[in-house]
Order: sequence, then structure tokens, then C-alpha cells
Amino acid sequence: MLRSDQILSTVEMIQKENLDVRTVTMGINLLDCHAETVAKTCANIEEKIHTFAGNFVPTCNEMGEKYGIPVVNKRLSVTPIAFVGAGFERDGFVEIAKALDRAATSVNVDILGGFSAQVEKGMTQTDHEFIASIPDALAQTEKICASINIATTKKGINMDALAMMGHTIKAIAEKTADNNGFGAAKFVVFCNQPGDNPFMAGAIHGLEESEAVLNVGVSGPGVIARALDRLIADHPEPGALQFDELAEEIKQTTFRVTRCGELIGRAVSMSLGIEFGVVDLSLAPTPAIGDSVGEIFKILGMDAIGAPGSTAILAMLNDAVKKGGIFASKTVGGLSGAFIPVMEDSLLAEAVGEGSLCLEKLEAMTCVCSVGLDMVPIAGSVDADTISAIIADEMAIGVINAKTTAARLIPVPGKEVGDSVSFGGLFGAAPIMPIRNIGKSSRFIAWGGRMPAPIHSFKN
Amino acid sequence: MQKKMVISVMSKDRPGIIADVTGALLELGGDVADLNQTVLCGYLTMILGVTFPSDITREDIFASISHVKSREKFELSVKELPETENFNDIPQAEESYILSLQGPNCKGIVHAVSSICGRNNVNIIDLGTSLQQDRYTMAVQCSIKDATCTLEELRKEFEEYGRDAEQTIMMQHYDLFRATNEVTLH
Repeated sequence: MLRSDQILSTVEMIQKENLDVRTVTMGINLLDCHAETVAKTCANIEEKIHTFAGNFVPTCNEMGEKYGIPVVNKRLSVTPIAFVGAGFERDGFVEIAKALDRAATSVNVDILGGFSAQVEKGMTQTDHEFIASIPDALAQTEKICASINIATTKKGINMDALAMMGHTIKAIAEKTADNNGFGAAKFVVFCNQPGDNPFMAGAIHGLEESEAVLNVGVSGPGVIARALDRLIADHPEPGALQFDELAEEIKQTTFRVTRCGELIGRAVSMSLGIEFGVVDLSLAPTPAIGDSVGEIFKILGMDAIGAPGSTAILAMLNDAVKKGGIFASKTVGGLSGAFIPVMEDSLLAEAVGEGSLCLEKLEAMTCVCSVGLDMVPIAGSVDADTISAIIADEMAIGVINAKTTAARLIPVPGKEVGDSVSFGGLFGAAPIMPIRNIGKSSRFIAWGGRMPAPIHSFKN
Repeated sequence: MQKKMVISVMSKDRPGIIADVTGALLELGGDVADLNQTVLCGYLTMILGVTFPSDITREDIFASISHVKSREKFELSVKELPETENFNDIPQAEESYILSLQGPNCKGIVHAVSSICGRNNVNIIDLGTSLQQDRYTMAVQCSIKDATCTLEELRKEFEEYGRDAEQTIMMQHYDLFRATNEVTLH
């Protein structure tokens, strides 16, 4: 029998800190679904998803019930569709997106990622057709998420693809203008995109993966925030706690949180007979009160998020989460860090409204955490080249620092600085983020070609 | 042929009780297969599984332990296991859950919780309680393998009792507690 204090610490984590498993994501290889026609390929895709994921959602629910910890999101990721649909044209890719959407709906998952391409060095004719299909594909589906990897540390940045990204994002937003450009919230541009990330919108089933695999995303920042609250309340005297003790608390809490994710992921894996992949240690906030990375900034001493010291706090948080989580899991992967998605984190959104958090500070913070400029709503009037240039800066951070970075920018049609946008649910709400120096980067974007891969020595 | 005895001993706690009792059993040729002890309210209680040569009787064990010099006499109970039973015939704690209860102290909590378990054929494997500043805490490890109701029904019944008695009750799978508190993940 465990000691009662051990039992109670776990009970508190479950009860007071709303412990959950944020996502179990099943990755499925679809390469063998390619057929001569688009129609046959679509049929193969639907059949394969049914075969592998037919019992996926009920099994996750059953394990959540058994262990008393809910699996909040059940998701699918698939092989980047540009590979699956090699040789098809734009309209064919839109049909594949619809087939994926039907399959996702029929197996009752929340969302499906992998409408993706990997073009970090060059683009094939298929890649061009695929990228051109993304605005229609996202406008005509509900559950599909798209992503493009345009940069890696080994290959540098594909500047031609980068230039296309600004236009693609604007086109997605305009095609979904009735819903404030919501489609752009389901599209993310990556540097060093991992093939085993369970979080959206950037989940794919990488080419290096096996036939099917289960990846798990652990519980959100609320658990860490409550643990810190409790520790600080237990040490009310000034000077009773130091920063390293707070880091230690985060580390230990992450260990326990990760263990819960690993336990439930393995139980689902065993029940379905599908290989267990990785636990992704990322702290993914939601708009729900008490589930905010921004709240952790405030607990750790920031009176305004974005004030000097914010990057240092995020660096410690990200590192402590990794230290606790890596020991707790046999296999860690995905993004594994703290997310700072503006719209999905109510306190970050509030900081944008108050003017304490600007794009440049957010960009600086992405140097020390995963994943990048995430869920940032900007004015619909910002031009495509400026959007591409913002993405270029984020890609450069990833390339040079050999880490994953990404950009999910939402140019909200008809909205300007001073307005707000709300997508509801997990996608949240935020004021429009001001962008400085709009229209000053077009000559840079127009070069095209490639930004060469960086030197891997002399790291200063 | 050896005899298998289950022995329970209770005494006012003091240093050396386990040494004295196991010494007395050793003199009879006893081999301790399993032992569990706890101290509650200043009293030690322990239960032992011991194998003896076939000629040793319950009376020999009583006599041997009674001869231990101690300020306070041991309260003893000895039970011989049938030949067909073994010490390691412990029912596996399959489908083992931890029931935790926290709330203000009041009469009848243990009885109420154990009655719900008993009524639904839920076997209590281990139970511990503590009282701090009138706040009562109970942790129960139980097996629902042979329960006559579903887990959901059981949780609901405990929830209803908790609401009535102003106690916070949670029931979680045992593996969850092991996973979050032990280094090795089984």
C-alpha cells in the first residue's frame, strides 16, 4: 500500500488541479492508399482510417473512465498528404481533404492533422498543386488541419515556399471570412516539424513512423499553476522560497503528470494493439480559466506578461518541464515544451489587449520554448509579404537554434488593431496584435531561392 | 511435512518486540515466510506467516511466545493453515482501486464506506486513516474484481454518501498512484 501522503498528493492533482490527458493522437500511414485515381485514393483512405481508428474513441473513453482521468481530445494524424497524393492536381487534393474529413467524422475524432507537405529544400509540381489546394480544402472541411514544413536546420529555409505562405494564409483567411478567417487557425508553417507531434494544427504521421502509432499529449499548465500556488501558500514568509525551489516543484509535478499520460496512453495502445509512440511534454493552455501559461508567469513574479524577465521565466518553465517529463516516460517526442498560443491562453490574450505583450517580445520568448508565434490574430489588411517576413524570422530562430518553431498567424478579414476576434471553444479569443513596419519587407521576400543551412560549429 | 501457521501478536509498543517474538519462533524451528506490522495509538500489532516442523503445535507457539520476558503480556492468536493452502496464495489485487476520503471527522465513516464495499462484494485489501485538526482522511485499497456492480455504479454510490456526509470521496485506479509515485513504471 502506498503512503497516505502519496495518495493524497495524487488525489489533489486529479481533483483540484483538473488533471487530464490533453490528447491521444493516432498516427496512421496512408502512403499505401495512393491509387491511380483521386476517387480510388479517397476510398482507400477512408477504409484505412476506419480499419485502424474505428474503436479508437470508445477505447480512449473507456480507459479515461477506468483510470478516472479524462482523455480530452481524440485526434488523428496522417502521412503528409502531398506524398499520398503525388501526381494529383489541386482539385484532387481538395477531394482528399473532404475524404479525410468524412473519415474523421465517422470515427468521431475531434480533429485530423496531416494535410501537409514538406518543402524545406525544394518543391515538386505536386507540392505546388497541394499548396494551391489548401485554402479551398480548409474552407470546405471542418476537422482538417494543414501544415507546411518550409525550413530545417540541415537544409535552411525554402524562400520560394516562404513567399507563398503569406499569400496562402491570406487566401485561407479570406475563404473563411464569414468566420473571421478561422481557416487560418488550422494552418501552421513549421521549421524542423516533428513527425510524432500529437498537438494540432501541426500533427503529422512522419515518413519515419511505422504503420500506426499512438502519441500522447500530457495535461495542461493548470496543473503546474495549482502546484505552484500550493507551494507558495505553504511558504508565506518572505524569502522562504527561492526560484530553484519553484523549478523543482514544476519538475516534480511534470513527472507525475507525464506518468499519467504514459499510463493511459499505454493502456489505450495495449487495448487497440497499436504501437505506443511518444509522450509529448508540451504544456498546452486552453482558454478555460486556470489553464493558462500566462498564469504561471504571474505566479512566478511577472506583474505584466511580456515585461522584462518573461523570457527568463519561460526558459526555466520549459526546461523544468522537460527535466521532469523525460525521466517519467520511456519515449518522449513531439514538441515537448511550453506553448504560448495567444488566442488559446486567456492571460496572454489579455496581455496583448493591455499592450504589455507585443509581437517582438512574443518572438523573443519563442527562442526558449516550443513552438512559436502561435494563434496570433493580426489585422486582415496586413500584406502577404509582411506575413511571410514574420514567418521568416520565426523560421530563422528554429534553423539557427536547431529547434522546432512554427507560425500560426490569422489575418482576420475586416478587423484592425483595437478590434478583437473570438473563435470560441478551444481556439479562444484575443485582441488583434499590432504589427509594426507593415509593408517594409517585400524586397526581402521577393528574392526567393533558399536561405542556406547554417554552420554547425562556432555557436555563439 | 511442515506446518503453516498464521500468528497475530498485539502488545504495547516498545523496542525489541519483533526480535523477541521472532526469536521465540526460531527456537521452535520456525521460518518466517511473511510478516506485516503496524503501530497504532502506541500499540504494536503484527501478523506473521511461519512454517514449523510437523511436530510443533499451536500450544508450543503460545508457550514459547508467552515465555518472552515483557512488561506487558502479548495478546496472541494462532491459526494453522490447511495443507492445501499456501502463504503465497494471496488473491491478486486485480482491478485494484484506491478510494480516498477527506472531510470533517464524524462517527461511522469507516463503517459506512466498508458497508458500501461489503454490500457490493468489493474486497478491502488495505485501509488507513488519519485525523489532523478534526480533518479526517481515509485511504482504502480495494479490489472490484468480483464486485456485483459496475465501477460507475460504485463511484455513484460513494459520491452520494460523500454528499450526504460532507466528505470528498474519489475512486481512482491503483496503477495511477503507482505511476505517479514510483520510479519504475510497471
